[in-house]
Amino acid sequence: MKTHVIELKNVSLRLGEGASSVQVLRGVTLQVERGHSTAIVGPSGSGKSTLLMVMAGLERIDSGEVWIAGQRTDQLSEDAMASFRGRTIGIVFQSFHLIPNMTALENVAVPLELAGHPDPFSVAEQELAAVGLKDRVTHYPGELSGGEQQRVAIARALAPQPAIIIADEPTGNLDQTTGRQIADLLFSTAAERGTTLVLVTHDPALAARCDRQVTMRSGQIIDAPSPATANGE
Amino acid sequence: MLQKTPIFPSATEPTRGGLRPLLALRFALREMRGGLRGFFVFLACIALGVAAIGGVNSVARSISAAVDSQGQEILGGEIRFRLTQREANDAEKAWIASLGTVSESASMRSMAQREDGSNQALVEVKAVDGAYPLYGSLVTDPPLDHETLFGERDGAFGAVAPSLLLDRLGIRVGERVKLGRGLFEIRAVLVTEPDAVSESFGFAPRLMVSLDGLKAAGLIQPGSLFQYAYRVKLAEPPSGSNALKSLRNQASKLFPQAGWNVRTFENAAPSLSSNVERFSQFLTLVGLTALVVGGVGVANAVRAYLDSKRSVIATFKSLGASGNFVVLVYLLQIMLIALVGIAAGLALGAMMPFGAQAALQQLLPIPSEVGFYPRALALAAVFGILTTLAFALLPLGRARDVPATALFREMGFEARGWPRKTYVVAALAIAVALALLAIFHAQERRIATIFVVSAVCAFLVLRLVGDLVQTIARHAPRVRSTALRLAIGNIHRPGALTPSVVVSLGLGLTLLATLALIDGNLRRQIGDRLPDVAPNFFFVDIQPHEIEDFSMLVERELPGKLIRVPMLRGRVVELNGKDTRNLKVAPEGEWVLRGDRGITYSATVPENSTLVEGEWWPENYDGEPLVSFSAQEGKELGLKLGDTITVNVLGRNITARIANFRRVEWETLAMNFVMVFSPNTFAGAPHAWLSTLTAENATPEEESRLLNAITRAFPTVTSIRVKDALDVVNELVSQLSTAIRAAASVALIASVLVLSGALAAGSKARVHDAVVLKTLGATRRMLVRAFAYEYLLIGLATAIFGLLAGAVASWYVVARIMKLSWTMLPEVAVGTVALALVLTVVFGLIGTWRVLGHKAAPVLRNL
Repeated sequence: MKTHVIELKNVSLRLGEGASSVQVLRGVTLQVERGHSTAIVGPSGSGKSTLLMVMAGLERIDSGEVWIAGQRTDQLSEDAMASFRGRTIGIVFQSFHLIPNMTALENVAVPLELAGHPDPFSVAEQELAAVGLKDRVTHYPGELSGGEQQRVAIARALAPQPAIIIADEPTGNLDQTTGRQIADLLFSTAAERGTTLVLVTHDPALAARCDRQVTMRSGQIIDAPSPATANGE
Repeated sequence: MLQKTPIFPSATEPTRGGLRPLLALRFALREMRGGLRGFFVFLACIALGVAAIGGVNSVARSISAAVDSQGQEILGGEIRFRLTQREANDAEKAWIASLGTVSESASMRSMAQREDGSNQALVEVKAVDGAYPLYGSLVTDPPLDHETLFGERDGAFGAVAPSLLLDRLGIRVGERVKLGRGLFEIRAVLVTEPDAVSESFGFAPRLMVSLDGLKAAGLIQPGSLFQYAYRVKLAEPPSGSNALKSLRNQASKLFPQAGWNVRTFENAAPSLSSNVERFSQFLTLVGLTALVVGGVGVANAVRAYLDSKRSVIATFKSLGASGNFVVLVYLLQIMLIALVGIAAGLALGAMMPFGAQAALQQLLPIPSEVGFYPRALALAAVFGILTTLAFALLPLGRARDVPATALFREMGFEARGWPRKTYVVAALAIAVALALLAIFHAQERRIATIFVVSAVCAFLVLRLVGDLVQTIARHAPRVRSTALRLAIGNIHRPGALTPSVVVSLGLGLTLLATLALIDGNLRRQIGDRLPDVAPNFFFVDIQPHEIEDFSMLVERELPGKLIRVPMLRGRVVELNGKDTRNLKVAPEGEWVLRGDRGITYSATVPENSTLVEGEWWPENYDGEPLVSFSAQEGKELGLKLGDTITVNVLGRNITARIANFRRVEWETLAMNFVMVFSPNTFAGAPHAWLSTLTAENATPEEESRLLNAITRAFPTVTSIRVKDALDVVNELVSQLSTAIRAAASVALIASVLVLSGALAAGSKARVHDAVVLKTLGATRRMLVRAFAYEYLLIGLATAIFGLLAGAVASWYVVARIMKLSWTMLPEVAVGTVALALVLTVVFGLIGTWRVLGHKAAPVLRNL
């Protein structure tokens, strides 16, 4: 039996006010199965990133329903959503967004500390080791390369053992080789833990590695084929 | 091996509730690893304001502590009984003597003249007995015993005087002076008089003699203005305030008609204490203004800091932090930084009494007592914390609403507008708490309230002025000059410097203009206007048998308008049969009931007075004693026609009924009295005459000649040249205004700090603009012109407002509170505008110069 870890039902969202407002999402319906990887592709301004934000509960929708890990999230309060997100969804950004005055270890520990984990630093250390940065725990973001920073960001996203990882152009700020390494890391760790991966990308090669590609245009999903197998075609 | 199962049982169930302050503190400390860069202005503003408040209050407390702990020395005993125009009678003396060891002294104002009669000076005479001083020591140079200092030798009694008097008369120790009809040899220079602080304010230098010497000088005559004081070292040390209180009550009960002023060592120098208190509270308000001005700097620094942290805030939120938690993390950081500033301010403030020690020693002859005053410092710290909170909460509230979505869109994080209502209400509540603390801390709450309300109004109006300047700039017609067009654009664009510069500099300028205008108007009044309307001389203690000869001499030496009135001293002891000590009256009217007042009698309405209510008594009136009361003071004391007033004159209580009220022109400095009695009231009472001479075109030489002639012919008459007295007052006003200006300059320094901080914060945007404009063909010269115009326009708008607000505030103080005439002083106006322009343009261009030096490429790469 298929289980949907993400389910969007007829989601619409308009941003801005008055004459300058834009209908960013138009009745989007999408299901993402647990443990699968999904790439959202489409031209700039098609609503891909907004769709990710809606999944992460960072953007309030105007109508429709959002179900994440069995919880309807579009009706949660801001603080309840923050708490839910901290433990259910890991986010990886294009620009990493590490906290500059915290070491790699502290950066990874932040979501665990916020969630009240009893031993955040041991877990953070394990996560950094898992992404190959065992020797970099005391380094500050400014002392790390772009690839290393994104590894820290992936470790941070994975640390609370979230059900879902959403990644916004995770290799967009990296060179080709580093980008490939990061993608390998992301896919392998997600697969190893059975974590659902949803990413937005302009890179066809990265999209092709996902179980499924969802194409958007003008706030609508225009193509959402059935998921392929985890091993590709 | 990593865990495979979710580590949290239920995703929506928080593992720990609440804000978790310890975790917030941990995050705050990590966030602060970047150092305090960008917080210099914040730290300096808080430190400055806290130092000013803590320092001023510490100095005030050090003075109060000295007065409190050395009460016996300052008063010269544990209790002092002072009588006006009479010695204590035998019964009173016997009772006082029964209390312990007594030291008797007499004091009065008189003229000391060189032995050859060539020069004379007004002196404050104090005659002491062998027991003086009971506490502390009289320091003279050379140090001599009482007998050697004051005893009679070769036909002259001894005397001591400070070098000021010796210099004034041009004599040295060993030479002689005439006082009244006596001859005195200066035996030593007076260095310290232990009980000087508890004496009344002295217009003239001290001349200390013995009681025998004073008697020999013939100055103690019926009706002349002298005071006798009896200081007592109690046989049994008092066991507390109650013992002294019961002694005081006993004195009133045993001698109800004595009319003496009784003072105990626990309140040895009440007017000094209350003046120090009042002055320190005023300076606290000025310090608070500095803090509030600095608050603008705090708000700017917090906003700039939080702007730089917006992506971090968004990241925290995306990782599961609640909005309130984020606010707590940054609030803790801001408060930790504020505590650093407060600690620095407290350290400076705590040191101030030590620094002020030397200066105070010259002003107040009190043995210094400096220490740390935790309450004064705590007050300053509370003011610092409240100011920080009041100004930091709004930017913090805005930070709460930083959207995490910005991280996805890679967009700017600028958030303007109002934060959530909770933060606005909290900031307002803290501002109100700050105002209430300032008001309740002050003794004169009305003045503190006016000050606080004015500061709030100025603050709000300045915000509006800032907005107005921006609106005008926005709607200004397009000008031909590119530089001016750029300047006008800079004034109104989003993130412009206009609001913060106008508010910060405006508050400092307003305060400075207000104080300069008050000070200038007072000086003008004292220095220019008063000498024109005031008489040239006051002559005191003219005996009835001398008055005709005296008048003839004056007429011969310096013809002018000579007014003579009988003069007595009296204390108001009852109003409508109620003891004045138990009456609560308006503070403005208190002075009438405090101490002795000059009183007179007259058959006709005196000069400089206009009857405003009631009838004057007939010329030969012989009924119940009547009194004419000054209308203004009568109103302040709540008196009406028909009320009764009891005055103690020469040890007798005399009750008179108010027959009328007069409007008195005090500001002319002419002979004026609060109370003028019907002549029959004092029939037969011994009294001397008071006289004024107005000779409009008299030269200083003519005045000196008259002074000399009168002192030679009437050695017991005291002549006071009004110009000299005004010089003393002018000197006093000048010392006070120096202190006030020094305090106000703290507020201006805060303004300048905030200004430079705002300019520095704006420089990033300016680098960007300058580089883009340079790539588009703008020359450095044009950019400098554009920036200079911008600063000039903002500075001018601020100056005009500061001047207008200062004019209104100073008019209120001078015309409404002090009831003096007010005029706009052009030099203050020009000074204020010039200062504002110099500050904005110079500080602005210093910052801009750096901006212009930037290479274009690195900036463009980061665009």
